Amino acid sequence: MIFTTDKQTLEDLNIFGKHGGDSIYNIFNRCITRGGAAVLEEMFRYPLASHEAINKRVSIIQSLAQRNLSFPFKGSDFDAADTYLANTDERSKLVQHEQSMARKLTNMIAMDIDTQLIYKGVESLMALMKKAQEFVNELNSIDGLHETSTEMLAILNDPAFAAVYQHKGKLSHAQIAELDVILRFQQRTAVEKLLRHIFYLDAYLSIARVASERRFAFAQALPAESHDLLRLQGVYHPLVKNAVPNNIHITADNNVIFLTGANMAGKSTFMKSVSIAMYLAHAGFPVAAQQMQFAVLDGAYTTINLPDNLGMGASHFYAEVLRLKKVAQELSSKNLFVVFDELFRGTNVKDAYEATIAVTTAFAKKKKSIFVISTHIIEAGSVLKENCNNIQFVYLPTRMKGNTPEYTYTLEQGITADRHGMVIINNEKILDILRNGKKKSTTTTGYELHH
Amino acid sequence: MSFITDKQTLDDLNITGKFKQHSIFSLFNDTKTSGGEKLLEQLFLHPLTDAAAINSRSQVLQFFHQRALVFPFNIEILQEAETYLSAGTSGAYPIVALGLLQKRILQLAIRDEQFEQLKKGVLATIKLLATLQDFVEQTAKESNWPAMEQFDTIKQLFSDHRMKWLQEARNQSSPALLQLARYDHIMRHVLRDEMEAVLQFIYHLDVYIAVTNVARARNFHYAQALPNEQAVFRTTALWHPALEKAVANPLHLHEEQNVLFLTGANMAGKSTFMKSLGIAVYLAHMGFPVAAKDLVFSVRDGLYTSINVSDNLNLGYSHFYAEVLRVKKVAEEVASGKDLVVIFDELFKGTNVKDAYDATLAVTQEFVAYRNSFFVISTHIIEVGETLRETCNNLQFSYLPTIMEGSVPRYPYTLTPGISNDRHGMLIIQNEKILEMIQ
Repeated sequence: MIFTTDKQTLEDLNIFGKHGGDSIYNIFNRCITRGGAAVLEEMFRYPLASHEAINKRVSIIQSLAQRNLSFPFKGSDFDAADTYLANTDERSKLVQHEQSMARKLTNMIAMDIDTQLIYKGVESLMALMKKAQEFVNELNSIDGLHETSTEMLAILNDPAFAAVYQHKGKLSHAQIAELDVILRFQQRTAVEKLLRHIFYLDAYLSIARVASERRFAFAQALPAESHDLLRLQGVYHPLVKNAVPNNIHITADNNVIFLTGANMAGKSTFMKSVSIAMYLAHAGFPVAAQQMQFAVLDGAYTTINLPDNLGMGASHFYAEVLRLKKVAQELSSKNLFVVFDELFRGTNVKDAYEATIAVTTAFAKKKKSIFVISTHIIEAGSVLKENCNNIQFVYLPTRMKGNTPEYTYTLEQGITADRHGMVIINNEKILDILRNGKKKSTTTTGYELHH
Repeated sequence: MSFITDKQTLDDLNITGKFKQHSIFSLFNDTKTSGGEKLLEQLFLHPLTDAAAINSRSQVLQFFHQRALVFPFNIEILQEAETYLSAGTSGAYPIVALGLLQKRILQLAIRDEQFEQLKKGVLATIKLLATLQDFVEQTAKESNWPAMEQFDTIKQLFSDHRMKWLQEARNQSSPALLQLARYDHIMRHVLRDEMEAVLQFIYHLDVYIAVTNVARARNFHYAQALPNEQAVFRTTALWHPALEKAVANPLHLHEEQNVLFLTGANMAGKSTFMKSLGIAVYLAHMGFPVAAKDLVFSVRDGLYTSINVSDNLNLGYSHFYAEVLRVKKVAEEVASGKDLVVIFDELFKGTNVKDAYDATLAVTQEFVAYRNSFFVISTHIIEVGETLRETCNNLQFSYLPTIMEGSVPRYPYTLTPGISNDRHGMLIIQNEKILEMIQ
């Protein structure tokens, strides 16, 4: 089974970002090759859903990070090899012997583009393979990479490639033509497989480098349906500067987090931090935390920045309901990580109160999933406390310093009634302006119509 | 003093903007001439704040509306005349004649085009004046024109002795050189200002005819402005002018009930109703036809709306803050003693339900003390209305209902007195069977 998620979640967490803006993917993407970046994206798009696979990837990246290895290949070689291998037309093979005078003359003045690309491709691939020969020995001793290095060695040491290592110095046209046939046609599959391995290494090394630079932690995946669902220490948002770390411990006995706090107190950021950590951990990536252990889940669904499509006539409330319905459907067969920020803000207070209680109570019956629900309707909290025994109440506090609110961004146990919508309105003195304005006391009643 | 409004209001109501689809300006912009279009733009940019001026423009338009006149001028001829009149000529007739002679010789000698162009311009302008003269006489004969200063000026112009030459000129297809020089001298020097007035008059005709054609086709009506001492806004049917099948609603705001508190589900049509009102207020202050029947209104100093505060919930706090600043701006204007029309749609939706409740309540309670302004405030937080009903006596409560047919909501778009008790929230959740699905 694969780890499921959706567009809304990826956007909420800013996993891929938009148009080159900051994103979680960009933090990790230090790949030198384009192929490596593609592999990294694939890992990002398809997190894993078994603890063995996750722990294996974690151990590879972890040992690469410890060795402090760097990627030994030149990026430009891959670009040349890429274009070269993309040309699968048999007719473009270099002809070995037909070196007419005319051809020699033309080549002296300017070689035609196709031939140039082939020359370059062959030379780049040779360089890559020679480098790989040296590098592969370093990989052999790394946990989890043993298989990769064996496969790579088998390809590299294949007698079919003997010619690649024999030739030294500048190659003649005939030699290039010979290598072209081997690399591009006869051993194409092997070459591509080799490159694929190198791309993976590029991606792993890129992740490892980021992990050591940013001091990210490697999470430990526990088998699905463990009692301990999530233990996070010092989790923070990797895209927020000077982010404040928080701890959270979720077990099957308190798997619903009921989060309260004022608007600016950091609720969304906290929820995003935990969600991003969960997402990355399931991809086998290092996380922005000190320590993390988690039971593997089947997917993650967050609802933090739900857009409403008023242009199409759908209300925000309806958008929320549809979202809830989708999550509910998924929950029927899967154990999920579910986040709802400020549920039911598109409706009246009474409906929001009732709906929050009803939905949270229903969620609380799913003890193998994790729910994080934020709300301002604190009254719902006290009812929920009586209804369910597996709800964990936490809040992000606001300290008022005179009229200015200050935030600690540190999670505390309990429920808070902090709000400061009115504080802002009072700070702007709107009510005072209106109270002291010029009110006309008109006494005219009735009016005449003229026709 | 000009009518006060701001960019957000114009954007909310989609009033100005030549290139914007469905803007109210482009709805009315059926003008034939570029001068007319510019004039219409000016009228849209400067609504009036004087009841008499509004009513007199409205009467002129009503006259055109009833008469269903057709714009009598040929556009090509008008353009030629415009180009011709925009260039100056010498003050002394002999010099004009000599210059013309010189051009004529050049034409014969080296096929120079200047003479031909000038002749064409003179003839086009003569034709234009002739058409205008006929039009004015024809129209004046049939019925009385409304009091319109410009019309009188033009009528006087044609009876002026300096315009006698037109009778001989309008029948000549190819005047002699000296005659041409005389006409040129008269039109571009002697009657220079009068000719400018003629063009302006034509642009006005263009606008009046265009606007009333639209009004007739769309069944718009004319409003009656009252001086601003009273505070009244009354119509028996108000709808959105740009919508094909808009539902019309009556509305009566006055000093005793100067606040309309509007509730209803999101899709029930709150925003459309509020926009309809905003547009009617704006057009009425221009003296233009409105998408409202029997509209009587006291002139206000300005209009502020907050309808499409971009729905970007992602901005979270900063969105709320932007709304607060908007309310503050309007509060300052209201507090300065101006008579305004203020329309707030879904105030404080950028925040949580509870903050929105507190803020909407507090702000509304302060606003309603200003009896000289009109307020229309909508919210989905119906609890605010219930509290306001107890604390204030000058509020009208209306809602746009949702009728549930089975599990499908239907929206009749008719304003109903009271506060919406649509508690569809839980109903929708039950209909979607979400709770069962989870368990």
